[in-house]
Amino acid sequence: MGKYVVGKVSELPPSSRRIVRVNGREIGVFNVKGKYYALRNVCPHQSAPLCLGELTGLAVSDEPGEIEWTREGEILRCPWHGWEFDISNGSTIFQSKARVKTYEVQVEKAALARMIEGVETYPVTVEDEVVILEY
Amino acid sequence: MEEATTKGAPREVTVNLIDCDVHPYLKHPDELREYMREPWRSRTIPSRRQIFLPPGDGRRLDALPEDGSPAGSDPKLVEKQVLQGIGADYVILIPSSSISIIPDPVFAAEVAQAWNDWQIDTWLGKYNWHGRFKSSIVIAPQNPERAVREIERLAGHPHLVQILVGSSAQAAYGKRQYHPIWEAAARHNLPAALHVESPIGPTPPTPLGYPTYFLEFHTLYPTIYMTHLVSLIAEGVFEKYPDFKFVFVEGGSAWLAPIMWRMDKDWRGARAEAPWLKRRPSEYLRDHIRFSTQPIEEPENPRHLLQIFEMMEAEHVLMFASDYPHWDFDDPKRAFPRMPEELKRRIFCENARELYNLPATRRADSLDSIHATDESQQIIGASH
Repeated sequence: MGKYVVGKVSELPPSSRRIVRVNGREIGVFNVKGKYYALRNVCPHQSAPLCLGELTGLAVSDEPGEIEWTREGEILRCPWHGWEFDISNGSTIFQSKARVKTYEVQVEKAALARMIEGVETYPVTVEDEVVILEY
Repeated sequence: MEEATTKGAPREVTVNLIDCDVHPYLKHPDELREYMREPWRSRTIPSRRQIFLPPGDGRRLDALPEDGSPAGSDPKLVEKQVLQGIGADYVILIPSSSISIIPDPVFAAEVAQAWNDWQIDTWLGKYNWHGRFKSSIVIAPQNPERAVREIERLAGHPHLVQILVGSSAQAAYGKRQYHPIWEAAARHNLPAALHVESPIGPTPPTPLGYPTYFLEFHTLYPTIYMTHLVSLIAEGVFEKYPDFKFVFVEGGSAWLAPIMWRMDKDWRGARAEAPWLKRRPSEYLRDHIRFSTQPIEEPENPRHLLQIFEMMEAEHVLMFASDYPHWDFDDPKRAFPRMPEELKRRIFCENARELYNLPATRRADSLDSIHATDESQQIIGASH
């Protein structure tokens, strides 16, 4: 498993996202209400750039005609065919075997981050916290 | 795209992929006015109304140009995402004109003419340096006389390869009021394409009126398509105009074999009321009618789709379409099950090439050598 410095914490405020290329793979890193998520930028349906999609909520219902809006910001909707994915685990909202790979994201002090191989070129100061993608 | 010749200019490449449904959009609604005359020029042009709401507001979100103009309005992005992105050698443009919603037949004909002059100037003119954009003559079927005049005016244009009508119509297209239009099209060797149109129009989008949800509206496109298809065959349009070809775009195709079995069976007993039908109804289909693939049905078991292809004789009737830049775009490499090479070639290229008289090779251009993505970039997108 490798680690990749996505950016400074200040560069990824809540409601922002960044798509990075790590080892030839495109991965979208999201900050949703202070919590970080990372997913492959490839929709398992037709390979659309999934992480360009809208972050939305989840409409649920107990009976026809009644709709409850939940989990605002935690559902990633494909920019092509509108498939909805749970950003926390990459599964589709409708039952299926289709799944997007997800990754762990950590926040670490820059001093530690700099020790990790390959990140020396990233301009951080000792005071900065950085967002680390584990791939 | 493969190289057909190795040395010497100009280099020719084999035509492998023809996309039969790409939508060119106006940069701004007023763009059309420049091609209109008074008194219509100053009037508000009735426009497509979205009463049913598709995902992504109807378009691929990554097809939105950076300058904020509508998806499908920037020829450079179409070159990047369609000619390069999916490797289409030719695209057949289908302007989203929503002509059928205009009740006034004269106004409708004026708007149709403006769409044609606009596209000749832009997508088939200054945007078409490579010659890979072909398009459709927009006509107003609610005004057959003017439609015929428009066909006469534009037939022979090297990039206008068919005429275009909307799915929402005053009557099924086999009815006699439309025959002069089909006669003119057939005489000029132009197929007629039918594309789905705004839900607001002369007829509601289903035989039972307006559904409740987009999900129903979109699922039920075939109901109107079936009605036009059966009408065109039953009324003898293809006996009357033996050179006439008809294309059904975006209404699906998996329903095709069962409806034709039904019509063939009924014809055996009910033939006497339509004795001009010399052959089984389904035989007219194979010789005269084509269907575009998008949105392709996606059964849980992909083999079922191949069985459906066999039943409908897809090797003769199906033509690939992406529907760029719309939300339900189909990628030719990802949307289909694995198919035998010959079937694939028929669907992705040959059926359309024969219908539209397109060449087997084309001159290579600069789009063939430029890569669509820049691999060197590390952070490739960010947003707040």
